[in-house]
Amino acid sequence: MLGQLIVSGLAVGFCYALLALAMVIIYKTSDVLNFAQGEMAMISSFMAFVFLESYQLSFPLALALTLLFAAALGALLEFVFLRPAKNPTVIGMIIITLGFEMILMGVAGWKWGPDQRNLPFPIPSFETYNFAGLVVSKINFWTIIVCLVLIALLFLFFQYSKLGTAMRATQQNRLVARLMGIRTKRIFSFTWALSSIIGAVSGMFIAALTVLDPPMMMDPLMKAFASAVLGGMTSLPGAAVGGTILGVVENLFGGYISLPFKSVVAFAVIVLMLCIRPSGLLGKHFVKKV
Amino acid sequence: MKKNMIMVFLLTAAVWVFSAPPSLLAQSVRGVTDTEILIGQWGPQTGPAAPWGAVARGTGLLFKGINDEGGIHGRKIKYFLRDDAYQPVKTKAIGKEFVEQIGVFAVVGGVGSACGMTNRDYFMESKVVWVSPATGVYEWIRPFQKYLFAFYPLYDDEAYALTAFLYEKMGFKKLAIFYQNDDYGKQGLMGVERYMKEKNIELTAKITAEVTDRDLSTHALKLKNSDAAAVIMWVNPTHGALILGESAKIGYRPQWSTTNTLGDAPFMMGITKGLWAGMIHSHYGEYPDSKNPLMEKYRAWHQKYEPKERWGLNYYAGIMFAEPLVEGLRRAGRDLTVDSLVKAMETLSGWRGIGMPLTFTPTERQGGKHVFFAKVNADGSITKLSDWVKITK
Repeated sequence: MLGQLIVSGLAVGFCYALLALAMVIIYKTSDVLNFAQGEMAMISSFMAFVFLESYQLSFPLALALTLLFAAALGALLEFVFLRPAKNPTVIGMIIITLGFEMILMGVAGWKWGPDQRNLPFPIPSFETYNFAGLVVSKINFWTIIVCLVLIALLFLFFQYSKLGTAMRATQQNRLVARLMGIRTKRIFSFTWALSSIIGAVSGMFIAALTVLDPPMMMDPLMKAFASAVLGGMTSLPGAAVGGTILGVVENLFGGYISLPFKSVVAFAVIVLMLCIRPSGLLGKHFVKKV
Repeated sequence: MKKNMIMVFLLTAAVWVFSAPPSLLAQSVRGVTDTEILIGQWGPQTGPAAPWGAVARGTGLLFKGINDEGGIHGRKIKYFLRDDAYQPVKTKAIGKEFVEQIGVFAVVGGVGSACGMTNRDYFMESKVVWVSPATGVYEWIRPFQKYLFAFYPLYDDEAYALTAFLYEKMGFKKLAIFYQNDDYGKQGLMGVERYMKEKNIELTAKITAEVTDRDLSTHALKLKNSDAAAVIMWVNPTHGALILGESAKIGYRPQWSTTNTLGDAPFMMGITKGLWAGMIHSHYGEYPDSKNPLMEKYRAWHQKYEPKERWGLNYYAGIMFAEPLVEGLRRAGRDLTVDSLVKAMETLSGWRGIGMPLTFTPTERQGGKHVFFAKVNADGSITKLSDWVKITK
């Protein structure tokens, strides 16, 4: 039972991790908690459904189009809603993302209705691998692998690519980055686009692991938020580690301690971390000299 | 000064009087005019429970068809559908709107036990006739409510009968339950446990889920470890689909069984990628493709008025819930009052529309007392496993 709990915890934990990463990327750049992240991922997953079901496109083509759509959606939110905000405060920006979340939820309900659907996925849902007695479904196995690869690619991108370095520079000091010739406005748009793409991948995996419907991301978004707080809102590795830990801890808690309180664990984590170590497991605690 | 005060008072009074809906100004019975009967219903058109919102839209189809046939005793039904998003606070506000602003004569259906409970006492005090709340909990009939007529089979009795069917008729001796942690799920649990206690046997597992849960892998694992040969589910459609999927992922395939609430087999087959095949569940009405003449007529209306709606159980359940009210209105005659409708409803005895047989008396408000059991086939159709079974004494 222990092995089984850990494997399924890892599969869902990596989905939380991806979504947490998407939130942290934006938070690091603009101090904004993007509460529309879940619904952006949901809309992108519905677009994947449309490409696969209505247009009968091949999976790779549908995936590419979905990611393009996700990028455009992220950039659109930044360009149309956030950039024109006059004298924006952090609270004001957060409220804008909340408004966008509600708009997206309304659009999804109007366009696709409330019924649950199946997202066609190339990995079989119910076939399993057997590793020395440990039954692992193919979808769980490949969710873990793909998320791991994606997380590794993201770290490489931020560490070694020119664009990634420019993004980090903008995150650290916007004014100096601009003085160094970095077009920070474009960097912001790109950040939102990238975050939306990562969220879309997470959304597609969550839809494949569960079902596709407008409220599908409500619970995962809260868990992703808890993961980001656990790992550190300013740390990319922290978000990945936080999501993974949360997924496994939730499952172990549900398996061995209390199933009814399993879903509360994430919120207990938020409260505990904010009390004990507000910067999270891997986040840096900034001290301002006055 | 005094003159001004009187003017202000008169003006305020005039605004108050003329802002009241016209329907309240010139009628003796609230919600009934010479040409119209005002009827309301809420249902979740948005939010997580929105698939159940089809119920209220199905009722709308029935009223459209009836109005096109000339209405009831010369009156057309004016129908008010409101979205409560499955949030009791909103349902409460809608109830107030129905009575104090619109002035409805009756309320029909209404998804959600907690949602409905916010209005039950208020409707009864306001003498609003409420027919067929769309859930099967005891709160509708205990204590006795003069103006409330319950159609839906009681979850407790349904769960008791389903457990008996699995244990006695199907021969499953190791049973577990997977239920939603609210009134709906708990009344299902109540019926299962009542049967088990009577037979002096133990459930192998009692697993609960919160409505918002999306990851049910631990729940599936616990069910598997319980080694139950059959699992009874009292959950929502999303959880029904998720638990079957998670169980299949770990190679656990017991005999699943569930309540009529998840009786839309073609839909459930779709969202479970075929895992719903073999499901045993109870039913309280006709199949979607039934040859029953009334079903043929309603399907024709569906094609004529609302062809874009999916013809599924939730949708035509809205018709089923409103049929007894329509029959009551017919029997009450042209001289329609709250009391004449109540008396007319009490004459329904073994009456059938497209649902189960219904009986109301001056002392009995639980009209629906029957279900039948069926098994889902691989193509989404169902095979009957029993005739009508009386589940409530």
